[in-house]
Amino acid sequence: MFKSLNLGIAAIALAMSGAVSAGPLGIGSTATAEMIAGWDIDIRPDGTGLPPGEGSVADGEGLYEAQCASCHGLFGEGAGRWPVLAGGEGTLDTLHPEKTVGSYWPYASTLWDYIHRAMPYPAPQSLTDDEVYAISAYVLYLNDIVDEDFVATKESFAQVKMPNEPNFYIDNRPDVQNTRCMKDCADPSQFEIVTTINGVTPTGHFKEDSGVSANHYGGDEPKAATVEVAMSDAAIAGKAVYDKACQACHNMGVAGAPKVGDVSAWAARIATGMESMNSNAINGYQGDNGVMPAKGGNMSLSDDEVKNAVAYMVESSR
Amino acid sequence: MTKLYEPSLPKLMEAIATEASGMRGMDRRNFLKGGIAAVAGLSSVQMIPKANASANLPPNLPEWQSYLGRGVVAKPYGDPSEFEDLQRRTVPWLTADAASSISMTPLQDLEGIITPSGVVFERYHGGIPNVNPDQHRLIIHGLVERPLVLTMEDLKRFPTVSEIRFIECPANGGMEWRGAQMEALQFTHGMLSCCEWTGVRLSTLLEEVGVKPEGKWILAEGADAAGMSRSIPLEKALDDTIIAWGQNGEALRPEQGYPLRMLNPGWEGNTSVKWLRRLEIGDQPWHHREETSKYTDLMPDGRARRFTYEQECNSVVTSPCPENPLQKRGFVEVRGYAWSGRGKIKAVDLSFDGGVNWQRAELDDLVLSKALTQFRFKTQWNGEPWLLQSRAIDETGYVQPTLKQLRDERGGWSIYHKNSIHTWNVTESGDVFNVQIS
Repeated sequence: MFKSLNLGIAAIALAMSGAVSAGPLGIGSTATAEMIAGWDIDIRPDGTGLPPGEGSVADGEGLYEAQCASCHGLFGEGAGRWPVLAGGEGTLDTLHPEKTVGSYWPYASTLWDYIHRAMPYPAPQSLTDDEVYAISAYVLYLNDIVDEDFVATKESFAQVKMPNEPNFYIDNRPDVQNTRCMKDCADPSQFEIVTTINGVTPTGHFKEDSGVSANHYGGDEPKAATVEVAMSDAAIAGKAVYDKACQACHNMGVAGAPKVGDVSAWAARIATGMESMNSNAINGYQGDNGVMPAKGGNMSLSDDEVKNAVAYMVESSR
Repeated sequence: MTKLYEPSLPKLMEAIATEASGMRGMDRRNFLKGGIAAVAGLSSVQMIPKANASANLPPNLPEWQSYLGRGVVAKPYGDPSEFEDLQRRTVPWLTADAASSISMTPLQDLEGIITPSGVVFERYHGGIPNVNPDQHRLIIHGLVERPLVLTMEDLKRFPTVSEIRFIECPANGGMEWRGAQMEALQFTHGMLSCCEWTGVRLSTLLEEVGVKPEGKWILAEGADAAGMSRSIPLEKALDDTIIAWGQNGEALRPEQGYPLRMLNPGWEGNTSVKWLRRLEIGDQPWHHREETSKYTDLMPDGRARRFTYEQECNSVVTSPCPENPLQKRGFVEVRGYAWSGRGKIKAVDLSFDGGVNWQRAELDDLVLSKALTQFRFKTQWNGEPWLLQSRAIDETGYVQPTLKQLRDERGGWSIYHKNSIHTWNVTESGDVFNVQIS
């Protein structure tokens, strides 16, 4: 018993000797520099956090077209309901403001940070630092913020000034002051009553994540497949890959992607044979109507996973 | 097109939303108008009578009383009755993809101030990550004396708090900025929920790591595919921010950030970062995507407000509302919710004539800071049309503004922070429509 008590005292003494680095409650473990380095991905407007590396507008063009254009459009104009990235200058005080990287975003660092942390949409944090520099440079170029010979580096990127930066200011609410009137507070003869049924129902402000008017939403949704289809093992395995990496475009038909279940859209493609379709899906493809990024922009997928997903889409669309 | 609908308004709304989702802009709007008219005239929709509905009514013995019911633990984790239809719903054409979208809480069906965990509104920027709590870590680093990595077990050793707080998306009501649009309370106000949250004060964690004097801001970052991130001023963190793992008596739901989230009471919902993996203390804000490109408020002069954190005082009548029309003449208890991101609700007034005259409503006993507060008003309705409004006043003295006041100041493109007095037009038939008075 004495022995164990001594051990206990030794343990307490040991803990106390480390007390310089422990907090008031001594809970938790030290986060090592290595742990922090792996997770500390944020970038600030002053360039803090930008890693070494470089990428030019020219490098970015090909990467953008392969990885980004299927949703954001070849010129940043946005496909379907996906965000518009370029244009919109001079529209912010109009009835149809277009909030893009160039017209609205106050800091270029936000572009680097977000592309790196969350893009491409189906495969976040899959781009190399050089690729992020290059794509960021190209998006700035699409917005006429840098020249075509711009090369983004840690130093050059932190120097980029965004035109709309001066137009942001800190929240100054409460900005309106109502009073607690109880009697005869308004003149009912002056009421204009707008209903949803008889009135106008503008839709441009609907979507929160897109810069385009809801009027642009158009496009027919695929008819839901109501018939049970017997599928191959490959197609069954491919469903999970499709859900993860393909549906963002092939569910809605973004950028000319044939929608799953759209028999007529798939017929001509199916006629070219599985080999051709698999090759296009794995290596990428520039069609007449749009772009298929290599592996849907998710380079972590194996070739077989992509083939399974193709099988799933084909067998769901015959 | 002859369709027989079960007399379930939620199902009908859902059917309309589903059909509308496949249509082009103008077709969709026209269809919605027609569909909504059908909902409004629900009494004219052909109903399917339940077989032998009267067999269970007095004086007969109800069928369910004539044999033994289900025993204990037949359902170790219970469900709502099969006769209930409590559901989150979305407006399908609102966003590009379900993984970056929003659904709304069925406020019209709730009882009391607590939102059941299963119908708390959802907002994701990159879908719900499937986080294994044993492998989840919270790292706190930056301008601190002792950078720490904490397991869920570590976190639960700290002193805890449990508080009832609302959480609201700043885009709640955003679809109504330019004009009345949604014929449903769930869609006009449903980006709002109120739960009991359990966790540790962020201030306690900050004491543990020791914030250096130059530390003024905190970056909160999630473990989702969007790496959701927001800059939070240190003052808020030291005031009432909670790092929460509990919600309404159990672990957070995956939709709400399981296993760990930030909760900034009274502030716009997106600051309450879910699936929280990292807190970095810095000397200035980060200006990330969700505090520059999004969640900033465009003013009519083309300039924009940023760091618009507070959800200002707001209220809405939940009964009657489009989903809850008045069915019978005579006694009516008008009910609704009020809430303020700046503290407690002090009073709620009701107007039946579009804001000309007002009368004070009763507040329920449970009036909590930054929580939904229920109000009630007993009256008679005999078929006269109402322009029914509620107006909340919070403990700072702020009076919920009119829509005109907001639009005069902010124009029509702010998207966020629309907290104006809402109007329901109760018609002679008892049907309720969403209208705006200007």
